[in-house]
Amino acid sequence: MSDIAYSRIIRDGLWTNNPAFVQILGLCPLLAVSSNVVNGLSLGLATALTLALSNTIVSMVRHWVSDEIRIPVFVLVIACVVTAIELAMNVYLHELYKILGIFIPLIVTNCIVIARAEAFASRNTVTRACADGLFMGLGSMFALVLLGALREAIGQGTLFANAHLMFGDAAKGMTITLVEHYHGFLLAILPPGAFIGLGLLIAIKNMIDARLARRAMATVLVTHEAGWHA
Amino acid sequence: MSTPSSPYVHTAGSVTTVMLRVIYALLPGIAAYVWFFGWGVAVNIVFAVVVALVCEAGMLALRGRPLKPFLLDGSAAVTAVLLALALPSLAPWWMTLIGTAFAIIIAKQLYGGLGFNPFNPAMIGYVVLLISFPREMTLWLAPEMVSGHSMGETMSTNPIFGHLGGKGWEWINGLFLLGGLWLIYKKVISWHIPVTVLGSLALMAAVYFLIDRDLYASPLFHLFSGAAILGAFFIATDPVTASTTPRGRLYYGAGIGVFTYIIRTWGGYPDGIAFAVLLMNMAAPMIDYYTRPRVFGHKD
Amino acid sequence: MTEYALILVSTVLVNNFVLVKFLGLCPFMGVSRKLETSTGMALATTFVLTLSSICSYLVNEYLLISLGLEYLRTISFILVIAVVVQFTEMVVHKTSPLLYQVLGIFLPLITTNCAVLGVALLNVQEQHSFMQSAVYGFGAAVGFSMVLILFAALRERILVADVPVAFRGPAIALITAGLMSLAFMGFAGLIKS
Repeated sequence: MSDIAYSRIIRDGLWTNNPAFVQILGLCPLLAVSSNVVNGLSLGLATALTLALSNTIVSMVRHWVSDEIRIPVFVLVIACVVTAIELAMNVYLHELYKILGIFIPLIVTNCIVIARAEAFASRNTVTRACADGLFMGLGSMFALVLLGALREAIGQGTLFANAHLMFGDAAKGMTITLVEHYHGFLLAILPPGAFIGLGLLIAIKNMIDARLARRAMATVLVTHEAGWHA
Repeated sequence: MSTPSSPYVHTAGSVTTVMLRVIYALLPGIAAYVWFFGWGVAVNIVFAVVVALVCEAGMLALRGRPLKPFLLDGSAAVTAVLLALALPSLAPWWMTLIGTAFAIIIAKQLYGGLGFNPFNPAMIGYVVLLISFPREMTLWLAPEMVSGHSMGETMSTNPIFGHLGGKGWEWINGLFLLGGLWLIYKKVISWHIPVTVLGSLALMAAVYFLIDRDLYASPLFHLFSGAAILGAFFIATDPVTASTTPRGRLYYGAGIGVFTYIIRTWGGYPDGIAFAVLLMNMAAPMIDYYTRPRVFGHKD
Repeated sequence: MTEYALILVSTVLVNNFVLVKFLGLCPFMGVSRKLETSTGMALATTFVLTLSSICSYLVNEYLLISLGLEYLRTISFILVIAVVVQFTEMVVHKTSPLLYQVLGIFLPLITTNCAVLGVALLNVQEQHSFMQSAVYGFGAAVGFSMVLILFAALRERILVADVPVAFRGPAIALITAGLMSLAFMGFAGLIKS
C-alpha cells in the first residue's frame, strides 16, 4: 500500500473527513464543553495531544500486537495517555481541570481516538500516524472552538471569557465583548442550543461544499467547451 | 417499521378552510382577552402573523418552492396567532420576532414545511422564549391597570400560559371552550384529543385534590386556568404533530393531561402544557407504531 | 425508597443522560437509524450499564481506595467496562444468536459509549453508595434507552420528509435532538436538589 501524502492527511483531518462535522464522532465532549471558546479550546488541545500520542504509540507497536487483542491493547494505550494528561492538567491547569470535570477522562471513550487508532495508526508508519492523530485532533479542536465561539457569542455576547483560566492572569483582558449590555440568549448556552448549533454548522459546511463542487463543475465545463473549440 | 400515512391534505383549498375555521373559533376568546387585558395582545398577534408570513415566504423562496399556495394555506398564520396568545402583552417586539422566526424556520420549514414537522411549531417558539428570556416572559398587566382603576403591580405570570386562575380568565377560557366545541361540531377536529387531555388532567387533579384539599388545586381550577382549554382544542389537535390512529389519540391526549398536571404541580414552570405537548409530539411516532390497525390477512 | 425513586426521576427525566448531560451521544446518533437495532442496543446497554456501574463501584471501594491507587481510576474503570462488555457479548451469543446478529458491531462499541464510563466516574464524584450506584446506573440506562427508541421512531418519520439538501442526514437529526432536549427542559425543577 503506497504511503498516503501528508497534504491529504492534513486536509482530511481539518475538513474533508473532519471528525465532528463529517464523521460525526466525539459528540459528547463537543456538545458538553462548547459553551464558550476557552473550554472548547482547552479540551480540544487535550484531545489533539491524546490523539497524536496514542496514534504514535499504536503505530510503534502495530507489528507486535496480534489481531485478536488489538482493541483491548489500543484502549489500554489510550487510557494510559489520558491518565497522564489528566494528572498533568490537575497540577498545571487546576481551575480548568475542575470546570472540564469528567470530560477529561472521558477522552478515553471519545470514539475518534479509538477510530483513528484502528483505521489509521495500526496500518501506517509512525510519522504518518502522528500527523494523522495531530490533524484529526486539530479538526476536532476546530469544531470545538467554532461551536464554542458561536454559542458564547450568541449566548453571552463575548468571546474568550475566562481566558485567564488557561493562559494565566495576564490574559484577563483577552475577553472580547461583542455587544455592550448584551441581553443574552440563554438557549445558546443550554443543551438544546448545543444540538441545534452543531446541526446548523454541519448544514453550513454542506452548503459550502456544495458551492465549491458547483464551481469546480463549472470550471470543468468551461475548459471542456474551450477544448472543443480549440 | 413502515411509516404510517400522515394526514396529508391534498389541496391547499381544504387546508385553508380548516385554518380559517380555527381562527374563527379563536376570535371570541381573543376578543375577551382584548377586553380584559388591552390591545397589546392584538398588536402581538398582527406582528407575529406578519413575521411568520415573511419567514415562510423567505424559506420557500430560498428553496425554490412556489409561494402562493403555501402562504395562503393559513398554517403559518395559525401558528403565529397561537404563539402570540402565549406571549405577555408587554413582550418586546424582538421576542415575538425571535419566537415566531424560530417556530416557522427551524421547527417547520427545515423539515419541509406543512405536514413534515415532528414538533408543534408554536410550542417550540414559546418554549424557546420561555427558557431564553425567563424574566421577560413573566411581565403581564393586571386587568385593573389596563382600565386605569388602580395601580396594581404587573402580574407576575402569564394569564394564559402561566398564571392559574384570576380575573377575566374564566371568560376567556370559557369562550375558547365554545370555539373548541364548535370546531368539533364542524368536524374540523375529532373529540378524542380534547376529551382525553382535559379528562386526564381533571382526573389527576381530582385524585390529588381528594387526598389533600389544601395542598392541591381543584379539577375545575386546573381546567379553567392556564392554557388547558386552548391547548386541548387548538394546540394538541394539530394533526401533523399529534398521533394519527384513533386509539393512539387517546393515549396521546392522556399523556398531555398527565404531564401538564405533573409540571404544574411539582415542576419549575407555572403551566406545563407547552412542554407536555412537545413531549407527546416526541412520543407520537411510537404511539402510532404500537396502535396501528391490524390489516386482516397479513402476518404482522 | 423515595431516595431511589428520586434518583430514577433525576436520571431519566430531569438530568437525562443524553439530552441534558450529553453522554452516550455517539450510539444515540449512530444506532438510531433503524428501530429494531435501537431496541436491541437499548437492551444491551441497559445490561452493561447497570452491571458495570456496580462493578466499578466495587473496584473503586475495595481496590483503588484501600490501596491508594485513585490515579489509576480511569484505566481500571475502562478495563472493568471492557470485561463486562465481553461478558455481555458471550451471554447474548449464547441466549439469542439472532440478537447477536442484529447487534453485530454495536456490542463491542458499548465500550466506547461515554455514558458507561461517565456513570462510573459520576458515581465516584457524587459519592454514591452501593445501592445508589446500582440505581443510578439503571436509571441512566433507562433514560438513554427511552430517548434512543423515541429518536429512532422520529428519524424514520423524518426520512420521508422534504428536508433541505444541506440538512439531510446528521444535521436535521441533531436539530431534532435539540428540539427533544427543548421538550425535556420542562422537567427542570421537578427535583428540588
